[in-house]
Amino acid sequence: MTLRRALRISAPITGVLLFANAILGLYITPPDKVQGNLARMLYIHPAVAWVAYLAFGVTTIGSLLYLWKATRSLRWDRIAFVSAEVGVLFTALTLITGSIWGRPAWGVWWTWDARLTSTAILLLLYLGYLALRGLPSSAETRAKRSAIVGIVSFIDVPIVHESVIWWRTLHQGPTVASLGMNSKIHGIMAWTLLLSFIAFTLLFVTLFLWRYRLALQEAERDQILVDMRKLDVTGSSTRSKVEELLSTRPVEG
Amino acid sequence: MKEMTVDPHLVADRALGLERKSRRGRRLKVYLPLALILAGLVFLVIRGLSNSLVYFHTVDEVLSMEGKLGNSSFRLEGVVVPKSVHTNNVGGVDFRVSGADGRQISVIDSANPPELFQPNLPVVLVGNLSHGIFYSNEIMVKHSASYIAAHPSRVASVGGKKI
Repeated sequence: MTLRRALRISAPITGVLLFANAILGLYITPPDKVQGNLARMLYIHPAVAWVAYLAFGVTTIGSLLYLWKATRSLRWDRIAFVSAEVGVLFTALTLITGSIWGRPAWGVWWTWDARLTSTAILLLLYLGYLALRGLPSSAETRAKRSAIVGIVSFIDVPIVHESVIWWRTLHQGPTVASLGMNSKIHGIMAWTLLLSFIAFTLLFVTLFLWRYRLALQEAERDQILVDMRKLDVTGSSTRSKVEELLSTRPVEG
Repeated sequence: MKEMTVDPHLVADRALGLERKSRRGRRLKVYLPLALILAGLVFLVIRGLSNSLVYFHTVDEVLSMEGKLGNSSFRLEGVVVPKSVHTNNVGGVDFRVSGADGRQISVIDSANPPELFQPNLPVVLVGNLSHGIFYSNEIMVKHSASYIAAHPSRVASVGGKKI
């Protein structure tokens, strides 16, 4: 299946599920006994945070597969990079949605507890990963360097997740990971929470595919220009030459 | 292969005229974000280590180390005691918080309590202890990870049974 075709399938399904999540979360589910309508953030914030973990997990797998000689390919580096970019977006969204929820629920936009601080560290670690890729170097050196940083940065993901258990925090403990323990979530609220996880996971898939396709096109463009430099094709006609070459060499997907 | 040592992005940018003109400007564009991110990481780690590891003290802990706390500001966690909440003349509320074993501390708060502030909910207070009274200047509500419908009779549980 080509990327274009995969996108044509995943994008509309994602749209429908996100719409269903919004309808259920805003209109069908009841308000919470303590938090009232504030609890509707439950159908956005945890799923957004989950996608950030998932994205960085994909980055780690891509990085490991790049470093492993048997599977070394720039394709894995590209997968790791694209996923990190989506992960950074979702980590920022996690902090923003958490802050929006925290102000009315806790009374503060931000506090220095372990969950919030380790999430901010996670954002900076992967922003660092992306910034590091901007350093001038060959594709191989960049891929190797990024893979190491990508893997090391992932150490913060379990720290973020377990922070509410390991340390005292203002942030509540896990709801999803502790349903068999002390937390409770009622009927349709639980199902809507589950739907939000599915919808946002599909949103990740869609964004990943879209960005991966773009990264392939960028790589293709770059390669054409490198080839042109080797052939000493320079001058004011470069841009039109590139467009011509790109139109005759369709990228994957 | 020798040609792979070139940076394809730089070659592409150069060819398309997207490259920054000055070498200094290009370096700044690459290294400044990295330096800022690194500085941010150092700040967060230091702030996290000094604030997050012991984010608050419980009522029981504070009562057992009252003499050692002096006038320093710290965070106190406890459950708001029912029927103890009264508005005061400094713009906040007076109430008591209890610990796990039922021991209590009186609180005089000078800040507006958050929307969810109510009896029986745990709160984290910022302030200092003086003569057995906690003078708070910030109240944070620590709600649980449970989500119970406000009208449970209208909602079916996961198994389809009425709650």
